[in-house]
Amino acid sequence: MTKKIDDTTRYERLRERMGNGDIDRRSFLSLLGAAGITTGLSGGMMTSMASQARAAGTELNFEGWGGVVSEALRKNAFSPYEAATGNKVIDATFGGENEVLTKIKAAGNTDGHNILHSSGVSWYKRWVDNDMHTKLNEANIPNMANVMTAMTDAFRKITPDGLSAVPYNYGTTGIAYNTKYVTPEKAKELGANLLLDPSLKGKIGGWGGDWANRAWYGALQSDQDPNNIQDWDAVWDKAREHRDLVLKYWSSGAELMDLLAKEEIYVTEAWSGRVAALQAQGHPIAYMDPPNGLAWMESMFVLKGSPMEAAEELLNFMLDPATSIAVASGQKYPSALDPTKVEMPADVQALPAFDATGKLETLVFRDPETWNPEEKDQSKTWNRVQKGG
Amino acid sequence: MRVWSLLKFYTILVYAFMFAPILVVLALAFNASQFGGFPIEGLSLRWFYKLAENEAIMRAMRTSLALGALTALIATTLGVLASLALVRYQFRGKAFITTFLISPVLVPETVLAVGLLIFLRWLHMPRSFALLVIGHSIIALPFVVLVVQARLVGIRKDYEEAARSLGASPFQTFREVTLPLLLPAVFAGALFAFTISFDNITATIFWRPSGLETVPTQIFGMLRNSVSPEINALGFVMICITVGLPLLAGALARYFSRKKI
Amino acid sequence: MPDQSLPADRRPWILLSPALVFITALVVVPMAFILVYSFYENIDLAQDVPAFQFGNWQELLTDSYYRTAIWKTLRLSLIVTVLAAVLGYIPAYVIAMTRYRHKWLLLLLLIIPFWISFIIRTLSWIHIFGNQGALNGLLRLLGLTDAPLSMMYTEFTVIVGFIHVFLPYMILNIYVSLEGIDQNLEPAARTLGATPWQAFKEVTLPLSVPGLAAGCLLVFVLTGGSYVTPLILGGPSDFLFGNLVYDAVVTELNWPMGATLSFALLLFLGSVVVLYSKLMGMDQLSKAFGR
Repeated sequence: MTKKIDDTTRYERLRERMGNGDIDRRSFLSLLGAAGITTGLSGGMMTSMASQARAAGTELNFEGWGGVVSEALRKNAFSPYEAATGNKVIDATFGGENEVLTKIKAAGNTDGHNILHSSGVSWYKRWVDNDMHTKLNEANIPNMANVMTAMTDAFRKITPDGLSAVPYNYGTTGIAYNTKYVTPEKAKELGANLLLDPSLKGKIGGWGGDWANRAWYGALQSDQDPNNIQDWDAVWDKAREHRDLVLKYWSSGAELMDLLAKEEIYVTEAWSGRVAALQAQGHPIAYMDPPNGLAWMESMFVLKGSPMEAAEELLNFMLDPATSIAVASGQKYPSALDPTKVEMPADVQALPAFDATGKLETLVFRDPETWNPEEKDQSKTWNRVQKGG
Repeated sequence: MRVWSLLKFYTILVYAFMFAPILVVLALAFNASQFGGFPIEGLSLRWFYKLAENEAIMRAMRTSLALGALTALIATTLGVLASLALVRYQFRGKAFITTFLISPVLVPETVLAVGLLIFLRWLHMPRSFALLVIGHSIIALPFVVLVVQARLVGIRKDYEEAARSLGASPFQTFREVTLPLLLPAVFAGALFAFTISFDNITATIFWRPSGLETVPTQIFGMLRNSVSPEINALGFVMICITVGLPLLAGALARYFSRKKI
Repeated sequence: MPDQSLPADRRPWILLSPALVFITALVVVPMAFILVYSFYENIDLAQDVPAFQFGNWQELLTDSYYRTAIWKTLRLSLIVTVLAAVLGYIPAYVIAMTRYRHKWLLLLLLIIPFWISFIIRTLSWIHIFGNQGALNGLLRLLGLTDAPLSMMYTEFTVIVGFIHVFLPYMILNIYVSLEGIDQNLEPAARTLGATPWQAFKEVTLPLSVPGLAAGCLLVFVLTGGSYVTPLILGGPSDFLFGNLVYDAVVTELNWPMGATLSFALLLFLGSVVVLYSKLMGMDQLSKAFGR
C-alpha cells in the first residue's frame, strides 16, 4: 500500500519536473538504463536479465481508435506512466469491440487484451454478460472523484458491486447539415425528419455500421420512445424510407467527414466530434441534436485477467485532468470529468454536446436493458434493410 | 505501322489509368488544406512533419517491412521448389496438384482468415507474428509459383542435361545452372510476395496479435477519426521508398540475367 | 525419358512437400473446421452452441436475400473479368512484343501501384470522381458542365475500383503466355499470305489463351471474394456475397452463419474453377504451369 503512494508521489514529482523542463524523458530513461547496466555487469547475465525483467515491469495492452486520441494518450498518459512505473503500455488500434470480441472468442482467453476504449453502456453490459469484466479498486484511482456521477451511476447500475471501467468521454450522434443548402430554421422544424426530406434525395448520408443508431432515429421518426420501442416494423420502414434517399452509407469518421466536406451529401446523422472538427476547418456544417437525440458515453474498460494494480494506476493517469482535457481537445468529445469540479478550457466548453452542469440531464442515453436483447435479431434485420431488403 | 502506334497509345492510356489515383495521392500530399480537394489551395509540407512525428505509423512500417521480407523469403523458397517439381518432372496428378497449389487464391480471404482462427482456437494456440508470416506466405504462394514457373518453362532443359552429363549432382546443377537463369523470376516472385504481404489487410486484421500493427491496419484504424492527408503523405513516402526497392531489385535481376549462357 | 529409378519418382514430391504441407494445414484443415462450425447454433452475439443442425444451411437455401447476393456477385465478377480481359490484353501484347530494352521496367510499373496501401488507393477515387474531384474539375474547366456530375458510390465506381486493383494480375498472366510464343510464328504466317490481323487471330491469339484464361480465372475469383471495395466505393445496393460474410462474422458475431456463408462462397467459386477446367481442360492450366 505504501508502495502505491510512493509510485504516485513519484509520478507527481516527475510530472512536475518534466513540466518544468528540469529533466527530459530521454535522460531519465537513460539513467534507468545505466542503472540497469551496472546491475547487470555486477550480477552476471541471469541476474541482469532478471533485474531487467523487473525493471521492465508489467505489460498492459490498450486498444483504441488510434489517430489523435492515441497520440494524446501516448503523450499525456502512457509515456509518463511508463517512465514513472517502469511498466509498458502497448497501444493498438482496433476497428471496434466486435473485432476484439471475435479475437477473444477465437483464442478462448483474454490474453493480450487488457484495456479497451469501450463504446457505451451497451458494450459494458455485453462484456459483463460474457463474464469478462473485473472489479476495480477505486481507492487506487483517486482521480475518479472528478468523474461525473451521472456517468458512473449508469455503469454502476449494471454492476452494483463495483466498476469494471471508468467513464472517459461522451458525445452525441445528432444531425449534421450543410448550411449552404439547408437553413437552420428548416433543420429545427423537421428535426429527425430532416433525414427523410425528399427534396434532398441523393444528398443524404447515413451511418451504415450501427443498427442501433438507425433504429434510434427510426424510432424518433415514427414518434416512438427510443428506449421503449414497441413497433420495430415501423422503425425499419422509416429506415427503408431513408435508404431510398441515401447516396452513401459511410462506415468511418473519415468517410463521414469527406462526404460532408466535399459536398457529396448535405445532410446526415453524425458524431458530434467529427462535426466539430469540420467546423474547426471552416466548413459550413451546422450540428443539431433533435429532441430525444442519441447520446453515448465511452469508457476505459478493463478486461478480466489483466494486471489490476498496474491497470488501475494507468487509469488514474488517464483520468488526470491534463490528460483527459488533452484527449477531449484532440478527439473533440467532452471529457467525463465533472466541469463543476475541473476547469475546462474554452475549446472543450465549446464542443457540441458539452454539458456545463455536469449532470447530463438533457442527454438521452441508450438503456441496455431494452436494447441489448434486441441486438441479435435487429442487427441482422438492419444489415438486410441496408442492402435493399 | 500505324496499328502498332495505336496499340502503344492505348497502352499508355491504360498505364495512365493505373497511376491516376496515385498521382492524386501524391499531389494532395502537399495540399495545405485538411480535406484535400481540387483545386489545391496551397502547398505545404506539414503533413510530412506530422507523419514523421507519428510514432505509431513508424512502428507499423517497421512491422510491415519485417513481415513482408519474411513472407517473401518463405513464399519464394516454397514456390521455387514447387515450380521445379511441376515443370521439370512428370508425375501423375499434376493437374490436381496444380489446383491445390493455387487454392489459397480460390478461397476468399475473409473465409481463409476466419477458418484459420477457428483452427487455431482448436489448437489452443494464440495469434502471433509467426502466424502472420505463415499466413501471408500461403496467400502469396500461388503468385510466386505462377511467376517462377513461367520463367522456368523458358529455360531449356539442355543446359541442365549438359551439366548432368558432365557429372554434376542435381543440387549442383540447380545452383550453378538453373538458379542463375531463374534469378529474374525469383526476384520478381519475391517482390510480388513482399507486395502482397505489405498490402494485405483483410486477413491481417483477423490474424494480428494484440499490439501489432501493420501499415494497412494502422491506416484502417485511423479512418475513424479522420482521413488526414497525413495518410496521403504516407502514401507518397511509401512510393518513394518502394520505387527505389524494385528499381534496385530490377537492376540486380537484369545484371544476373545478362550472365545468361 | 524420365528417370525410372525410385529416387527420381520421389523427387518431385520431396520438392512439393513443404508447399503441400503448408497448404493442407492452413487452407484445407481450416476449411474443414469451417464446415463443422456451420452446423453449430448461434444463440446470442458471440455465443455459439456446438450442435449438428441444419438451420443455417436451410436459411441460406431458402432466403432469397442470399440468392440475390450470389447473383450480384456472379454478375459483377463477370463484368469485371470481361472488362479486365478486354482492357488488359493489348497492354500485355504491347509489352510482350515490344523491342524496348527495359521491358522489366514496364512490368514493374504495373506493380508499383500496389505499394500504396489498398485503402489509400481505394479512398482516393473520391478525389477523381467526387463532386470536387479531378474529373469534375476538368469538365468544368472545359465548360462542359455547370453542376458537378454525381459519379461516386455507384456500381460504376465499384467496377472501376476493382479493375484498377486487378488489372495487373490480368496483364501479367497474359504477358507470361505471350512471351513464350515463338516470335517467328507471326512473320511466318505473313509470308504464307495472311494479313496481320489473320496472323494474330490464327496464331498468336490461340497460343495466348492459357494465360488469358488463367488471368480471367484469377480476376473472377478475386472479385468474387472481395468486400472492401464495394464497402468503400459503392452505394447501398452495391454489395457482394463477401459483404454478407463480413456482416455475419464481424458485425453480427454469428460465427455459425458466417461459416455457412463462407463455405457456400467457397463452393460457388470452386464450382467456377471446375467449370473452367472442364472448358479449358485442366491441361491448359497446367500447361501454363509447365509445358
